Amino acid sequence: MEQFEQLLTCAICLDRYRNPKLLPCQHSFCMEPCLEGLVDYVRRQVKCPECRAEHRIPYQGVQGFPNNVTLQRFLELHIEITGELPDPTSGQVMERCNVCSEKAYCSFCYHCDKKICEECKGAHMEILKREISRINNQVRRGIHRLQDSLSLVEKNTQNIQTNCLSVSEEIEEIYRRLNKALKDRTEYLRGEIDRYLGTELRTLTSLKENLEQEIANIVSNCDLADKHMNENVDIWDDCELMDTKEIFLKTIEFIRNFEYENTDYSRRIRLVLAHDPNQLVLHVAGFGDLNISNTNNPFSQGTSTGLLQPPGPGLMRSKSDHRLAFRNQDQGYGERNYGEQDNEQVLSGRKFGERQQKSDKYGSGYGRGGEYGGDDYDHEGTRSARSKYSSRFRRRNTMAEDDSDNESRNVRFHEQQPKTNNERERPLDTEDVTRGPLSGITRLADSPRVMKKLQENPTGKKKEKEAPPAPPKQPQVVPKRQPPPATRQVSEDDEIAKIKKQNKGATTSTEPVTETTRPTVEERHPVQQRKTPAPEAQSSAEDSEESSVSAHQHQQRQNVPPKTVPQPTTRRSSESAHKKSARSASSDSSSSAESSSSSAVRSTGAPFTTEEVKQKYLSRSEAPTETRSRTASTGANKEPVAQLTKPFQSRFLNKPATVPPPPQSKKDEEESETSSEEETETEEESDEPSSKKSDEKMAKTDIGPLLARSAHARDSSSSDHLRKKEESPINRSNYSTSEEPSTRYGSKRRTTITSEEEPPRYGYTSRFLNKSKSSAAIAQDDDDYTSRYTTPTNDEGSKYPATGRSRYMALKDRRQRLARSRSSQQFGDGEDETEDAGVTTPISPTTSNPTAYLASRGYGTSASAHDLARSRSTHALKSRDNSPERSSASAIEKDGAALSSWARYLKNKYGNRSGAKDKDSTASGGNSQASASSSSAARRLSLGLPLRSSTDLASSDDDGQKNMQGSPTTPTAATAAAADIAAAAAGTSPRSKYLQKCQQLFQIGSRGSEAGCFTWPRGVAVGPDNSIIVADSSNHRVQVFDSRGRFLKEFGQYGSGEGEFDCLAGVAVNRIGQYIIADRYNHRIQVFDPSGRFLRSFGSQGTADGRFNYPWGLATDALGFIYVCDKENHRIQVFQSDGTFVGKFGSMGSKEGQLEHPHYIAVSNTNRVIVSDSNNHRIQVFDVNGKVLTSFGTEGSEEGEFKFPRGVAVDDQGYICVADSGNNRIQIFHSDGTFLRALGCWGSQKGEFKGLEGVAMTPDGHILVCDRENHRIQVF
Amino acid sequence: MAVLPRRIIKETQRLMQEPVPGISAVPDDSNARYFHVIVTGPEDSPFEGGLFKLELFLPEDYPMSAPKVRFITKIYHPNIDRLGRICLDILKDKWSPALQIRTVLLSIQALLSAPNPDDPLANDVAELWKVNEIEAIRNAKEWTRRYAMDN
Repeated sequence: MEQFEQLLTCAICLDRYRNPKLLPCQHSFCMEPCLEGLVDYVRRQVKCPECRAEHRIPYQGVQGFPNNVTLQRFLELHIEITGELPDPTSGQVMERCNVCSEKAYCSFCYHCDKKICEECKGAHMEILKREISRINNQVRRGIHRLQDSLSLVEKNTQNIQTNCLSVSEEIEEIYRRLNKALKDRTEYLRGEIDRYLGTELRTLTSLKENLEQEIANIVSNCDLADKHMNENVDIWDDCELMDTKEIFLKTIEFIRNFEYENTDYSRRIRLVLAHDPNQLVLHVAGFGDLNISNTNNPFSQGTSTGLLQPPGPGLMRSKSDHRLAFRNQDQGYGERNYGEQDNEQVLSGRKFGERQQKSDKYGSGYGRGGEYGGDDYDHEGTRSARSKYSSRFRRRNTMAEDDSDNESRNVRFHEQQPKTNNERERPLDTEDVTRGPLSGITRLADSPRVMKKLQENPTGKKKEKEAPPAPPKQPQVVPKRQPPPATRQVSEDDEIAKIKKQNKGATTSTEPVTETTRPTVEERHPVQQRKTPAPEAQSSAEDSEESSVSAHQHQQRQNVPPKTVPQPTTRRSSESAHKKSARSASSDSSSSAESSSSSAVRSTGAPFTTEEVKQKYLSRSEAPTETRSRTASTGANKEPVAQLTKPFQSRFLNKPATVPPPPQSKKDEEESETSSEEETETEEESDEPSSKKSDEKMAKTDIGPLLARSAHARDSSSSDHLRKKEESPINRSNYSTSEEPSTRYGSKRRTTITSEEEPPRYGYTSRFLNKSKSSAAIAQDDDDYTSRYTTPTNDEGSKYPATGRSRYMALKDRRQRLARSRSSQQFGDGEDETEDAGVTTPISPTTSNPTAYLASRGYGTSASAHDLARSRSTHALKSRDNSPERSSASAIEKDGAALSSWARYLKNKYGNRSGAKDKDSTASGGNSQASASSSSAARRLSLGLPLRSSTDLASSDDDGQKNMQGSPTTPTAATAAAADIAAAAAGTSPRSKYLQKCQQLFQIGSRGSEAGCFTWPRGVAVGPDNSIIVADSSNHRVQVFDSRGRFLKEFGQYGSGEGEFDCLAGVAVNRIGQYIIADRYNHRIQVFDPSGRFLRSFGSQGTADGRFNYPWGLATDALGFIYVCDKENHRIQVFQSDGTFVGKFGSMGSKEGQLEHPHYIAVSNTNRVIVSDSNNHRIQVFDVNGKVLTSFGTEGSEEGEFKFPRGVAVDDQGYICVADSGNNRIQIFHSDGTFLRALGCWGSQKGEFKGLEGVAMTPDGHILVCDRENHRIQVF
Repeated sequence: MAVLPRRIIKETQRLMQEPVPGISAVPDDSNARYFHVIVTGPEDSPFEGGLFKLELFLPEDYPMSAPKVRFITKIYHPNIDRLGRICLDILKDKWSPALQIRTVLLSIQALLSAPNPDDPLANDVAELWKVNEIEAIRNAKEWTRRYAMDN
């Protein structure tokens, strides 16, 4: 036999003959590659390896040699005898491998869609396997997200409960209080009336008596006179007559003069209501609303609530990864494409577009519900986002489940498959496979194919990977693709081995191990049974899977308690496994029942009859869907939640204004210093205020009510500071925030204000109000800070949910304590409050803080404002300005003061510019001592910072300041301008505007070097005329467009001469329209006039002052100072507009105030310098001195986190826009750094980004984004 | 490195399973195309009793081209030079893909039994072999004893 075999062996390849060719020498060799390899192409000869005979090669090549038919017969015979398998390659023809271009038997490779040789294919499969395991690792790493969200969901459930509880308690409390207040007041009024009636009656009675007596007397006199005067009886002597006459004269005089003072006694009592009774009733009737804060916009939520916040975008991303995976398998479903970023072959851009819209939609709601706790936001945000998911899948699932026979699903697949570019078979994705209800991820273990493989190949070294690209891999694991018929039968050994393997895998999950044993035992027989129709088993498996998965998903989804679906006991193992390592589904679970893949699960299912199982399955599957749908619906129309949350609002009754996080959180030490200083000042001044009464009146008379009030607020706050120094900074920030225009509430309020003015009788009510208000303030107080202050809402929200009850209590206490820390109240509500304060305070007995009271009063009135003016900020000024009563003289004076302080600041900062002024101001300032002690910077802060933070007024103030700076000589004009601006600005709510942003308005450019095209645009800026200036970096030019994106002009070209660029980066436009360009590779800054003509350049490469190392972004401020991100020197340099070095700050590092590769910079109109500290993944905000005011962001892709942030921009309201380059999205923050929203994702569609660079914000609220790799500017 | 051709695998397997008497060829751990070969000196030859180490390398296009073989152990033989290079036709122009490692090694063993001084590589040895065969054989034995034993 051996010889026989040898005869059938080709001498060259030592293999069995394949296609033997007979040479003329009678020796035979395989045609390919043996004979082929022997060919001497030059001589067109073949030399027989055996006998060395040389043969001419036929015309057609070696193919032309005759086949050795005999040998071939022998071969066939041999096969027949031995029964061995035919050579799989027999009959195939060798082809060139498309990868290594060697000749070989090629087969199709799914990895590269080419026919390639085994060798290359093996390599490819290796790659795939590696990739899968890598992805698998990622999946594993990411699993905790799901687990986190599970725990979050649980937590949220709890929170919701506590939340609702506390809210209802709150309602109770409010009800009690309202009731009491109403009762007290009623009683009081009644008592008053009674008292009044009593006294009046008494007086009237006595008067009546007197009058009666008088009349009687007089009448008797008259009678007497009539009687005796006419009778000529001389009983009267002259003296008596005289006397009598006098008496009568007196009488007549009395009568004449007597006038019943009607007014005195006809005073009618009248019930005067401080509020329009109708409105009052309305207010009471609607004293609270349940507002579900709408969280829905996934990006919009603030940072403060991190605790409860489900891992937002990150989770989504991870989900998207899944999706991606899933998509691979099942592209038919790809309604949305979620690309996986870190996968080298990006399959598709993620499209978050939908979501954005959604968020936008909710965004408006957000503004509305702003009062609410951030927590709620979160809730809803995630909920909605999730619900979307779930809804989507639900749809699918339901569909799938609806057509209970899986075939329909199958059909669907078929229909959709054509869409996919390569219609490769998806061996793992069959109808039997269970899918995650949320992600649609197939469970590999369930795939019959996989099961088969696993069984066939018990030793299979690899656990299944969850990752989907698995299909190609599978074949490799199992060497033979065509399973021999016998494979179905699984030997026990195999099973055992498999079990062993599974157990091994199970080690990760502790519990499952024990569990697994059972399934394994059971496993055996189902396996054998499998030959018989398997569906039952499968269905049961599915169902278990479904339940476990659904639980899993629930958590993702949100509030649905994870275990809504009853789990059969048998499923425990899977469940536990699932719990433990979430969906290690395939791998771990394989160990556990779950993936025991299918087999284990199946086994459990086996006991049921098919029908039973099926029914069970169906019913069960329904359950999850229902829940799912529920959640979805809640997400969509947040009704239920809304009701729940509303109470929150009620609690903050007056506080709504606080909602919008106001721009600034300045809680520097400086600030606090200044504030304390101010306090002292205020005190002094507050004493001064002359006639309280008049003040009061004035306040009431409503002079520019807002302004007056804001002044109030401020004052009172400052006085508060006295009381509580620590708190003072907080309060301050509050103030500033108080006037947020954006809240719907606020605006409403304003309108109603006028009607609200009332006589000052309100002691009681006002007190009450104050209290409630103060609570808001309190909330802020106890918190710790930054974010807090500025964004009361957020913190409130966050706090609330966290410790629902206790918090509330704390608040209550606080409230009592602070009852009249009016400051907060005032702000808290902006106008309403202030009004109340103004009106109420005088009477309210509760106000314990007289100074505050006085102060508030004094300041509130324009008259007293005078006093303040000096020390007070422009804010005060402003209010005065607007107030009709203001005297021009005082205004001027004030301006002067304000200005001078600015000047001082400037001087300090940049040299002595307006020293005289400064001095004057100091002198004039009543509080020279304080000012003396305080640094000028502090001064500035006291002036500017608080102002800045407030939105409407504040911003306008800032404008005012700017103006003043700009034209120091004409202060009055400046202030006037400021006032105008303020007026103009009032009413806009940038916040909601940003929240609504979701869709690209338009975009400019595409790749190219023509006009209007870009190659790697980097910096973008907005000119004073709203033109758009783009640094077309790799075209080495600057392009200018009008505000609608029409090309206007370009200038610059490659080079290092004047007006030439080398990969310019940042652009900026100063107030007079000059273009300032960071000429990156030339390490210099160039300045061009508004027409694009070169003016000057400064800087060169180096590390000294005024030198650069790859300057990147730059910005200018109102005074024309140029701030340059000196990227490789890790610092910011400041220059005068003529290029004179002024200062620098920052050094390499990651500590506060240090920078690593600062890329872009923006300067707000309040002179906050915002720097994208790119490699530290954060944004730092400096003052112009380089002192860190705040910094926010860490590395990550959640809301408020960054990956290599680049462009930054700030609008005139202080909102900060950050190009989160690594995450390919734009994030918008409040001025204090709290997150407002995010938009965009990776991709090249509208609203998607690839490599973000600069951003800019136009005065009209558009956001310009430089989408580098897409070579375009997008405008939102 | 590309995957090993089936033929090499087969040959290697066969070499392991059915070793040729007096010859051992073991592939290197790191390179399956490189073999460590030991050939025993044939009986009745001056090289009897010696163990001669050789190295054998299968080039990329093996079997279409001949393996490269070289003596590592010094040997006194007219067809093997001082560097161990072998003058053997089948390693040169007479190579045929039908030949295998084992046949090559057998040929080399045969060459040891039948030196061919008419086609010399080491001229001095060949000269002596032709002029004074006894002397030459003595030398060969001496070398064998000196270099090919006891190691």
